[in-house]
Amino acid sequence: MLASIKSLALLALAATAAQAAVVTYNWNITYVNANPDGLHERRVIGVNGQFPIPTINVTLGDTLVINVINQIDQPTSLHSHGLFQTGNAQFDGPSMVTQCPIPPGANFTYTIPIEQHGTYWIHGHNRGQYVDGLRGPLIIHNTNETYKYDEEYTIALADWYHTEHEIMLEQYLSIFNPSGAEPVPESGLINQKTDAKFNFVPGKTYRLRIINMSALAMFHFYIDGHEMEIIEVDGIDVERKVVTSFPVTAAQRYSVLVKARADATKNFILHADMDPAMFDVVPPELELKVKGTIVYNETAPLADSGVTDEYEPFNDALLVPVIPETTQLPDQIFPLTAAFSVLNDYSNKATFNDITYVMPKVPTLYTALTTGNLSSNPEVYGKYSHPMVVKHNEWVEIIINNDDPGNHPFHLHGHVFQIVGRSTGKYDPADGPYPGYINSTNPSRRDTVLVPSEENVAIRFKANNPGVWLFHCHIEWHLQAGLATTLIEAPEVMPSVLKIDPTHIEHCKALGIPYRGNAAGNEGLDLTGANVGPDPLPGTFTAKGIVALVFTIISAFLGLATVIWYAREDDAQISAQIAQAKNTEEQH
Amino acid sequence: MGSLFSVPIYFVIFRETTEAAVIVSVLLSFLSQVLANDNQMRNRLATQVWAGTALGLLISIAIGAAFIVVWNKYGNNLWAGSEGIWVGVFSLVAVVMITVMGMAMLRTTQIQEKWKVKLSKAMDNENQKGLGNASRRYAMFILPLITVLREGLEAIVFIGGVTFTTESKSIPLAVVVGLISGFIVGYILYRGGNRMNLHRFFTASTCLLLLLAAGLVARAVASFEAYVWGKLTNAQSDDGGTYDPRYNVWALTCCDPKNNDLGGWQLFNALFGWSNIGSIGSVVCYIAYWLIVIVALVYMKLKRRRIAKANALQASHDSSNTTSGEKHSFELEDNKVDPAVAHTNEATRAHSHVIHEDQPADLKHL
Repeated sequence: MLASIKSLALLALAATAAQAAVVTYNWNITYVNANPDGLHERRVIGVNGQFPIPTINVTLGDTLVINVINQIDQPTSLHSHGLFQTGNAQFDGPSMVTQCPIPPGANFTYTIPIEQHGTYWIHGHNRGQYVDGLRGPLIIHNTNETYKYDEEYTIALADWYHTEHEIMLEQYLSIFNPSGAEPVPESGLINQKTDAKFNFVPGKTYRLRIINMSALAMFHFYIDGHEMEIIEVDGIDVERKVVTSFPVTAAQRYSVLVKARADATKNFILHADMDPAMFDVVPPELELKVKGTIVYNETAPLADSGVTDEYEPFNDALLVPVIPETTQLPDQIFPLTAAFSVLNDYSNKATFNDITYVMPKVPTLYTALTTGNLSSNPEVYGKYSHPMVVKHNEWVEIIINNDDPGNHPFHLHGHVFQIVGRSTGKYDPADGPYPGYINSTNPSRRDTVLVPSEENVAIRFKANNPGVWLFHCHIEWHLQAGLATTLIEAPEVMPSVLKIDPTHIEHCKALGIPYRGNAAGNEGLDLTGANVGPDPLPGTFTAKGIVALVFTIISAFLGLATVIWYAREDDAQISAQIAQAKNTEEQH
Repeated sequence: MGSLFSVPIYFVIFRETTEAAVIVSVLLSFLSQVLANDNQMRNRLATQVWAGTALGLLISIAIGAAFIVVWNKYGNNLWAGSEGIWVGVFSLVAVVMITVMGMAMLRTTQIQEKWKVKLSKAMDNENQKGLGNASRRYAMFILPLITVLREGLEAIVFIGGVTFTTESKSIPLAVVVGLISGFIVGYILYRGGNRMNLHRFFTASTCLLLLLAAGLVARAVASFEAYVWGKLTNAQSDDGGTYDPRYNVWALTCCDPKNNDLGGWQLFNALFGWSNIGSIGSVVCYIAYWLIVIVALVYMKLKRRRIAKANALQASHDSSNTTSGEKHSFELEDNKVDPAVAHTNEATRAHSHVIHEDQPADLKHL
């Protein structure tokens, strides 16, 4: 049965064997100095001494090999965003989920069979390193593309900060940020620059692959004077949809077809407007409206551009995948409510169902592989990795309530999922069945979905990929604040599918990280010493509160009693004086 | 909540008006008690009280209108940056005034004569000018003025903040009804005062006033702390409901006086300084206020006992002398005695003289 997974993959490989190649990239992860927005030179994380990092280009059926040498002073790891990694979870990348991070100075080879096609990206997945520049496009070409076009361009959008992410993270998570205001970027970039140009030849059709590699910002994408047809979303080819503009959240990708104009008399502006809704403040020097140029003729003037703040409404649930996949009734439903609050460590943290994600002591994947029969027991993974255990080939539904004023893009590793429902408000299972199901025989599919503030979304997928897959908000600050859960998929099947390369274990040893046992590194269900996260504040009186209140009440009563005492004797005294005076009178 | 009547605004106006009316009506009751027999001075001082109140109202309304106009024009929250400081400072000024006035009111019978003498001196045109004298003369004008100003500005700031989220048509009715309710409460206190047990009234009203003042201390400290915390956290608005966790003793999810849906907790806040977020600072300062009051009262009481003893001795001395033609020896006696006591002696003797002669009905029970 699961031999079938592997053999399917091999079959796919074999089918394209004629062109199948091993594509190798040798990447030294290094620090570089760069100034992409021309405003501020700073240290960034680059590859082979260069920034931006190289774009990866592979074809369906290839095997992608990335030989990583970590030449920065921090541990690092790489995640190929959107790649299924079927039976290959140990190369998925998130630190302490599927691997120990790569120690400084060490090597790590990612070997990834390419079983899908479309527009993806690759980025650091230890701390917020991708915000410091460790991110780039990963383009997988199909041997036979669904749509015909003459040329293609990759348009990688990103927000950009002038400060290193560790410093911003410290400020973001400090007790002096109780409202959880995210750091505001200093600029926006297209292909890591502010003056991106794309040459168009009249009459040709272009495929634009749009990737949002931001830490936080959502972009609205549109091109003056040109209509766009969406043909791909997160690696899934969809039926053409004409749009004038559409939003792209962090980590999402789209491909659009754009027909060049008939004449080369003017050049046109390509717009990527950053949406300020999630920015705590918008400083006046922040240029929200990032622009690139479609160049027909170097000397041609720019066409007039209307400045707009009104964008066409867009619902990605309406996109129809070219390869249909029906949905099934779910075997398990996980309702998750995302919220932010100040927890009992007094910093603003993110929670799913009041649990904030904290990395376990042992990478979760290694726990699943070394705890035998207990691997199907969620307890073994620790409360704060928020495990969701599912059985092989079950249909799994996750209903995400966004109980926060912000808009959050949620991403599931190892899968694309169907968008099967959208609704407003907060769904409580106690109220009955979910009310927002979209009845479709071919629901829209993607791997990163936006759940707007105070709304909810239902997603579904089949658990056909044994492994440990992180599910998290792709706003990097929120991931660090704990807005994540771990999907433990088919642990009963994992040992026969996954083998951990011994070099990975060596890296754990080098960093002093345990690599066997439960979330605390112990045998069985003994979780003493596990990493625990902060919990919600009680919101009621604690002992010191009661003591303080009692003392204030006592002091008030004492004070009032003193007032009454002070005033009362006045009477007796006066009476005495009057009596005295009367007596003296009478004596006369 | 009706769209024609904003309940939070009603509560705020009612609360602010009641607080101001309490203080003003106590002043007026006091005047009509102490100066029951002196219509001219009583009316003059009552006029001062009303004038101070009216001027305070006028200034509040003028400033309020100006602020609301500027506010709506520029759309900025002008208070936001420093509301904490404004509220805190105004509150502390009011605390001092209320406490001093409240405690002074307790020494009713002796105070009556002292004030009578003092007030008549103040009314005397022969008095020289000077700030000390002026503030004494116009105490009855200044006190209600500052009180009404503080209440008024507080109300304006709150309403200013609320107008952004409130439909404008729900404001006027709530303001008017709040004002009327507050005035009624004040009036009842004022009228009732003439028939009530004078001494008990003053004691009770002082208790209420000091309770209010203690609550104000807690609110003032909380306000300063909120300002500092807002600066530390670069807060955009000064009421995010967050607090400095390092100095916190309780943080309840219920019972929030800022929650407009539950008017009860707002009242608790107005009367006792209650907040669902208790800080070390506000708790300590609240207790410290009462300790200061207790110490002051005990000290004053012991000092008075000492004086009263001396007076009683003096009285028994006097009784063994004839009341007339013995001034000479009396003055000699005086020189041995503490001048403060002499002054009080005079007042007491004058008082006992008055009692002996007039025996006003409402003092008989003493």
